[in-house]
Amino acid sequence: MAGIFGSTVLDVAIGLVFVYLLLAILCTSANELLAGLTKSRASFLKKGITQLLDNQPIGAAKDQTNAFLEEFYRHPLITGMMQGNKHPAYLPSRTFATVITDNLAKSRLGRLNIEELEAGIMGMPDGDVKQALVALVHTSGDDLDSALTAIEGWFEDAMDRVTGWYKRRTQIWTLIMAILVTVLANADTVHIARHLWRDPVLRSAVVEAAKTRAQKPRPSVTVEYPNPDDPTNPTITSNEGSTVAPEESALLGQMMGWQGSLTDNTARDWFERILGWLITILALCLGAPFWFDVLNKFINIRSAGKSPGEAAKRPEKKKLAPADKSA
Amino acid sequence: MKRLIQVTTALLVGALLSAATVCNGEVVLTLALNKSFVKNIRNKATITTNLTVDAHPKDPHQIKDDGDDGDIHMAGRDSLIQLPLVAEILNARREPTATQLLKTVGIQPVSVSGAWRIWFEHLGSVDQIQGTPAPTPYPKGSNPDHLFEIHPITSFAGIDVLDSFVEIPGYQAYSASKAFPYYDDTDVTIQASDTAIMIAGGERKYNYADFVIELAGKPKDVGDGFIVLGNVYEATGSLENPVSPIAHRMVFVKGTPPAAKLLTMSKGETGHVLGIPRVNLTEIFLIASKHGTTPVSMKLPYEMIIAAVLP
Repeated sequence: MAGIFGSTVLDVAIGLVFVYLLLAILCTSANELLAGLTKSRASFLKKGITQLLDNQPIGAAKDQTNAFLEEFYRHPLITGMMQGNKHPAYLPSRTFATVITDNLAKSRLGRLNIEELEAGIMGMPDGDVKQALVALVHTSGDDLDSALTAIEGWFEDAMDRVTGWYKRRTQIWTLIMAILVTVLANADTVHIARHLWRDPVLRSAVVEAAKTRAQKPRPSVTVEYPNPDDPTNPTITSNEGSTVAPEESALLGQMMGWQGSLTDNTARDWFERILGWLITILALCLGAPFWFDVLNKFINIRSAGKSPGEAAKRPEKKKLAPADKSA
Repeated sequence: MKRLIQVTTALLVGALLSAATVCNGEVVLTLALNKSFVKNIRNKATITTNLTVDAHPKDPHQIKDDGDDGDIHMAGRDSLIQLPLVAEILNARREPTATQLLKTVGIQPVSVSGAWRIWFEHLGSVDQIQGTPAPTPYPKGSNPDHLFEIHPITSFAGIDVLDSFVEIPGYQAYSASKAFPYYDDTDVTIQASDTAIMIAGGERKYNYADFVIELAGKPKDVGDGFIVLGNVYEATGSLENPVSPIAHRMVFVKGTPPAAKLLTMSKGETGHVLGIPRVNLTEIFLIASKHGTTPVSMKLPYEMIIAAVLP
């Protein structure tokens, strides 16, 4: 292959992109692991529900300002979602509305109606929840469904805020993870590029591994329906392209790490290293899907065009097996 | 030499990134939707609005294949969707009352209900942002650049056309093995702001697909319709190999013959249908909610509006 596209420059670029992709995958995995360990989604949800339902006494105990919140968490529909004391990470808005209305009209005999719901709300001592529910119910329609929909909307708006908190936390931790991974692995872009430039054997091995990686699914979000009977409630999962294979880890080990004595490093060495780290950190913040797309483009350029049959793969999802026909 | 390597390294990624981007010459436009609008319609089969009809062809399309599908379409504008808008009556020759009425409506808005449909077919060259006034009149008459459709219509100016959801006699739809791999290979980028969800993508075709669905779950009643997950197979092939690797949401509009048929089916049963693809806003909303301002590049999530049950 002649010209720039067949040159060492392109192969070094592919090597760098490959490294960024693998490190970004590691960052994402570490971030998800941390989120799982800290149960941050669940704690944000708890915080959001507390903001909605605190400052509301019930019954005669007007000094118990969080009594309504505590009663919410004692409801069987909520305790059923708890694993011991662990707060659920998600709560359907319909469940929220059902628990609220059920707690407000405990004394009813049959099916709840709008009059009983209004009576339950008006019977509460003054508090934030009462004020919110009065506004919601009085501005919705005259039927129970409208009131339930309004309460669901109230909860969903709060959940939008929860999502915002969670998102900001994720962005901050993505940056922290990028810094940690880069420094711990000494992923210095300048050093890696120089290494690839000078070592044709390593360069060749990395390009071959990059070609293999480009054939895998894009490390991206995949939407799945955990309950095939509820097609309105999907969840986001990772796919098989979101893991680093052992042979890829071994290649990474050849290009980075803390070898040699640091005491021999000059100021110029440190300057180059920190510059290299900064480039890597910025690259990792772009995320694995971005680098996967770039890698595919570079591999296609290197191969002088992609054949129609080699279109980028859709993230793989399992075919949903039909359940028993009696359902 | 060492300095040369360092400078080359620093410039390498940026320069080649630009080259790679330029090499991918597909026209990509962005559809920006209000987040609350998406939230409201994502799990609905249909939408109802008051449409001011700007233009429509004199007669329904011919019936053969591709765009010759027997529909009659109308370009218009409204105050709910607030995007360049086209609505289409399926099997228009079966609906002479509605078709005749279309010819007589003036500038007064008429109530139009039907399956909402977002599809990157008539892309044009300008991003479409919900709330931005549509050009008056549309430069391309009755078929302007648009990404939002009400298609198929279920009610036009009070005239019920639910019975138009039947086979289009003589029409050759795209085969499942051609259409679904094409749909599956659609790249989009999804991004959210505080108030909007942006979907950026290139042109997509293949309006009607002929396929067999196998129910992978129970239908869920969403008020104006039913949504069910279904595996997709070639109409003439075996049920061993689905043409799409995943189950897709199938949307059935209440009161139509396909919805009536669906209610007689159980999980695991199959049916031969005619379907129209649309963007799956439930998945888009979920991704936008989780990732927010961080762009997410992925394959387009789509679902199928079931337009007819085929023999």
